Amino acid sequence: MPLHYVNSRKPALPVPVRAGEDGEAKVGWDEFLGWFGRRLGRILAQTEIVPGRVEEIRLRVNQPLLLRLAGEDVFLDRTGQPAPAEEAYRVELPDLAETMDRLTQSSLYAAAENLRQGFLTLPGGHRVGITGEAIMKQGSLQTIKHITGLNFRLAQDIRALGLDLLPHLISSERRLYHTLILSAPRAGKTTLLRALIRWLSNGVPELGLPGQAVGVVDERGELAGLWQGVPAYDLGCRTDVLDSCPKALGMGMLIRSMGPEVVAVDEVGHAEDVAAIAEALRSGVSILSTAHAGSLEEARCRPILRDLLAGGIFERAVLLSRRRGPGTVESVLDLARGQEVRPWARVANRKM
Amino acid sequence: MLILGAMGLIAAFGGIGLWLAARVRRRPEEIRVLLTALALLDTDIYWGATPLPEAFSGIADRVEDPWRNFFTEVKERIERGEAAWPAWKETIARLTGAFALKPEDWLIVLDIGKGLGRSDQQEQHKQLELAQKQLTLLREQAVVWAEKQAKMWAYLGFLVGCAGAIFLI
Repeated sequence: MPLHYVNSRKPALPVPVRAGEDGEAKVGWDEFLGWFGRRLGRILAQTEIVPGRVEEIRLRVNQPLLLRLAGEDVFLDRTGQPAPAEEAYRVELPDLAETMDRLTQSSLYAAAENLRQGFLTLPGGHRVGITGEAIMKQGSLQTIKHITGLNFRLAQDIRALGLDLLPHLISSERRLYHTLILSAPRAGKTTLLRALIRWLSNGVPELGLPGQAVGVVDERGELAGLWQGVPAYDLGCRTDVLDSCPKALGMGMLIRSMGPEVVAVDEVGHAEDVAAIAEALRSGVSILSTAHAGSLEEARCRPILRDLLAGGIFERAVLLSRRRGPGTVESVLDLARGQEVRPWARVANRKM
Repeated sequence: MLILGAMGLIAAFGGIGLWLAARVRRRPEEIRVLLTALALLDTDIYWGATPLPEAFSGIADRVEDPWRNFFTEVKERIERGEAAWPAWKETIARLTGAFALKPEDWLIVLDIGKGLGRSDQQEQHKQLELAQKQLTLLREQAVVWAEKQAKMWAYLGFLVGCAGAIFLI
């Protein structure tokens, strides 16, 4: 059973506040630091780096404490100030142990499924990648012990994101084209997907787009950021979320049970995902999905994505990069015609 | 007046004796409640993979004081960011006075906390099962012990009261 599991009790640690009035993401930084061990929390609390700039916080045993900002890596010393690597604070095993205790609420067994996947999801959709000693049983990963590294990836939620992209993803009948968002890691796929789900669910009167029932299979718990049943993100008023369920299983379940018009999933990449998407198409829903690939060419070189693209399943592809920061839209492609969507091409390369 | 004083003395010492007897009788009862709590915890962990704070919260709803207080406090400490073992240990240190348990009972209770949450479900199940076996044995001994001790304290209280009264007269 995964850690973002069970009931609707109020989260044990506060959910970071997201999405400010100005459309910029605000991180409930102090609350977020509650997940770190005391010493690390103190260091991070003292840093003068604007929390909104932080994309990742990397903890590796006996290595310097590292913050990854957009296009820049910063090491922190004991006082939270940027420092050269050799003078930076070295993360120690007790720091990692204490942090893991807080992340799992001292319940490693409850996080077993997450450990098998190699990450935990926190309130707010933040993801913590885990490395350590893999314990194998009958050829499959049983768990990870002797944790040696943690990577906190801070999720973003920017309200206005995706709105200017939306007109190019809906048909004249106001139906969402089957859309695939492609990018390399850390380029904003999930953030854009989340924003599109919300727009589709709530509807956009300016575009004449009525709200649609959206079914979300949130296999990794990142889209809704559910923490013990409480969503950290607003995915819209017509959205049903199936949390921690494999995509291939969840898509069919949602279609049968909730009658969505759009089914959204994050990071397709397995053969069974392709089969499930093909099955979903037969029921007439629109598919909104993301996948790892730096370009369309790269996607076409990958067996699973190649099948998806060659099968003519998707009608639109949105290519993202980090060239001008996460969420830079490189192009929107009409896959049926094999060309860029014209209105978008004129303003291509803008950042969302 | 003297008779009244003697009667008061007997009643006071008798009352103290009865109170001590009742306290002694609480020991096996407290072990029984802990056994129930551990069975619930084992089920929550083994079948539900329920995290400790949530499991403790459920247990606190289903057991009586002083264990209710105990599990509530451990839960709150873990939710505040403490690891399970220090939270367990420090709660014991703080609440020992509210229990009728003896030091040898606390040794087993302390042992339970050492491994809590630190392994997979199977391992947790084994540890809790072992603790339950030890406590069951301890409870059987405690029932016999408590019966004897309770009688002794009850009689002793009145006898001391009577002796005092005779001395007074």
